[in-house]
Amino acid sequence: MIKLLHVEDDPDIRDIAMMALEISGEFSVIQCESGQAALEQLAHYTPDVVLLDVMMPGMTGRQTLEHMRKLPQMAEVPAIFMTARAQQSDIEELRAYGGTEVISKPFDPMTLTDQIKRAMELIVA
Amino acid sequence: MADISSNNNFALAFGTGTVAATGWYAGATALLTGHADYFVPIGGAIAIAGLIPALLHRNSARKQSRIANLALTQRLNVLDRHLMVNVVDNKHVLTEVNDHLVHVTGFSRNELIGYPVKKLFCNDKGQTKADEIRAALIRGETWQGETPLRCKDGSLLFTQTTVIPLFNERGEWTGSISARSDITRTKKLMAEHETMDTLEELRDDIWIVDAESEKITYMNRAAMRRTDWTNRSYKSKTLSDVMAKDRGAKAIVTACRELKETGEGMTHFETSLKGVPFLVSIKFLRVNSAEDRFLVMLNDISDRHAEEQKKSDFIAMVSHELRSPLTSIKGSMGLLLSNATGELPPKALALLEIAHRNADRLVLIINDILDLEKISAGRMDFDLQDADMAELIRETNHATEMMQQRYAIKLETTGIDHPIPLQTDSTRIIQVLTNFLSNACKFSKPNGKIIVDVHQQENQLRVSVTDEGPGIPVSDQHKIFERFADLENSDRSAKGGTGLGLSICKAIVESLGGTIGFETEENVGTTFYFVLPHFVRTDASDQREEEFREAS
Repeated sequence: MIKLLHVEDDPDIRDIAMMALEISGEFSVIQCESGQAALEQLAHYTPDVVLLDVMMPGMTGRQTLEHMRKLPQMAEVPAIFMTARAQQSDIEELRAYGGTEVISKPFDPMTLTDQIKRAMELIVA
Repeated sequence: MADISSNNNFALAFGTGTVAATGWYAGATALLTGHADYFVPIGGAIAIAGLIPALLHRNSARKQSRIANLALTQRLNVLDRHLMVNVVDNKHVLTEVNDHLVHVTGFSRNELIGYPVKKLFCNDKGQTKADEIRAALIRGETWQGETPLRCKDGSLLFTQTTVIPLFNERGEWTGSISARSDITRTKKLMAEHETMDTLEELRDDIWIVDAESEKITYMNRAAMRRTDWTNRSYKSKTLSDVMAKDRGAKAIVTACRELKETGEGMTHFETSLKGVPFLVSIKFLRVNSAEDRFLVMLNDISDRHAEEQKKSDFIAMVSHELRSPLTSIKGSMGLLLSNATGELPPKALALLEIAHRNADRLVLIINDILDLEKISAGRMDFDLQDADMAELIRETNHATEMMQQRYAIKLETTGIDHPIPLQTDSTRIIQVLTNFLSNACKFSKPNGKIIVDVHQQENQLRVSVTDEGPGIPVSDQHKIFERFADLENSDRSAKGGTGLGLSICKAIVESLGGTIGFETEENVGTTFYFVLPHFVRTDASDQREEEFREAS
């Protein structure tokens, strides 16, 4: 099972993502509603991949990633941004910021797991 | 009178045989010598000629007359050199003109005497004035005001004029006499002064630069404030000094030099000076080669830029806010459609498909609006890389396979059997091609054929997509590239279009330095095409790419 940490402030999107990830049966998912909550979770949990919303109140996705990367166990874990602002320049900017992949919203729930796995394979390669 | 005539230009000019001339001339003598109180400057002196006969009778002594004549000669000499004087009869025909008038207007005396005075008037406006003067004279009134005169060479002369009516001893109106002083230069100076005053008050920066030496000959207050130069110091500055002060001014200097080189009249562009955005307008003023000048006007557009930024931020924010709920809507429907929650009854599934398709359309519209906003703000990113047009076409064909199947289309490609290398933004080209192809699919009949063709011309690459659809009615052709164009024979919602696609394509192709167009025939089909500049890769193309990057 792939351990996935999903950080998203919108509860509806959390539910849809959870359902989409459960279908494949390959993921064990922990969800957090904010960057702060995610960092607290990471004190006792190390995921294989992080799915990170960009625009969140309080700590943004980028800030969350910045803090995450300071944790030794999280330095190399693939981080996938999800954003409703997915223009070419936004995507490049997020990659430059340390995002392994960028998935634009609205995402297709049926291909979400494939997109995540592809991003993780990129890291392995 | 004889001795005056022999040494006085004025008297010579007017001759001795004219009754009217003798009358006002002698009268003026008495006035000027015997009644100093009546001596009024220039034009006013002539106005008292009506008193002449009475004054003549009162001065009879010969000695007094000689003294008077001498004094008169001196005074008339001054008036004659200063004023243009003419006499007309009651039919407005010129009977006398003085040397000064002849000299200033360039006409000879023979070209004026015996001709209507309107020969000296310049246009309809002059004629209107002539009517006004005539009316005053007939009423026996003196007329004073400005009259424009036309010189022999066609140039315009502004004069301050006094006209008085002439009457004979029976009290009958016999004509008039006019004295004019040349105020052309004064008027010109006043106009220049007013212009300069206006320039000084302008909010925009104004520079006037000598085209030859590139020296700054004028700066208004706003320009001095911005450069920290005073009205003394700027006169020693040149365009190079402006450039040294601010690198952003390089564009202005370059534009000035280009205008001079090409001889073009005017140019407009945007640049920034010390971080402030400006709209620059430069007018190349060609007077004669020695005095060619540039008029440079800088209009601060930071307010406009701030407004545009606000608008663009707003659109981006709204688009984002729309996408978040759409993520939930589309996600939920996607999961339902995939039977993640169990099998749905066929009717529910059909309804859900309609909702899902329209949610997709909404996402496309939001994407298009964002694209258009970026294009209009000049912020669309273009990533120029080495690409192969043949490969881009294959990718597009592959990406639209589902659509081709849905519309039962037969796709043919020509001209892509070999690599076609070029420098372009592959993502954007695929976006344009996808739009062309999806339009072609939507408007094709089932089993229709679509041809994608690449044609290389000299330094150009033409890519076209041809369908066998109904064609575009003439009435719609002019608005094809407009946003949300309301086309007669197109049911946009049924076709699933956003109404923005082609205007985005046009903006993309033009941003890449190309042109876009279409050819259509009703009931035969339509070809949409774009033509891109196509250079074999060289050092020069590297430089062009560099220039493109800078420009975009």
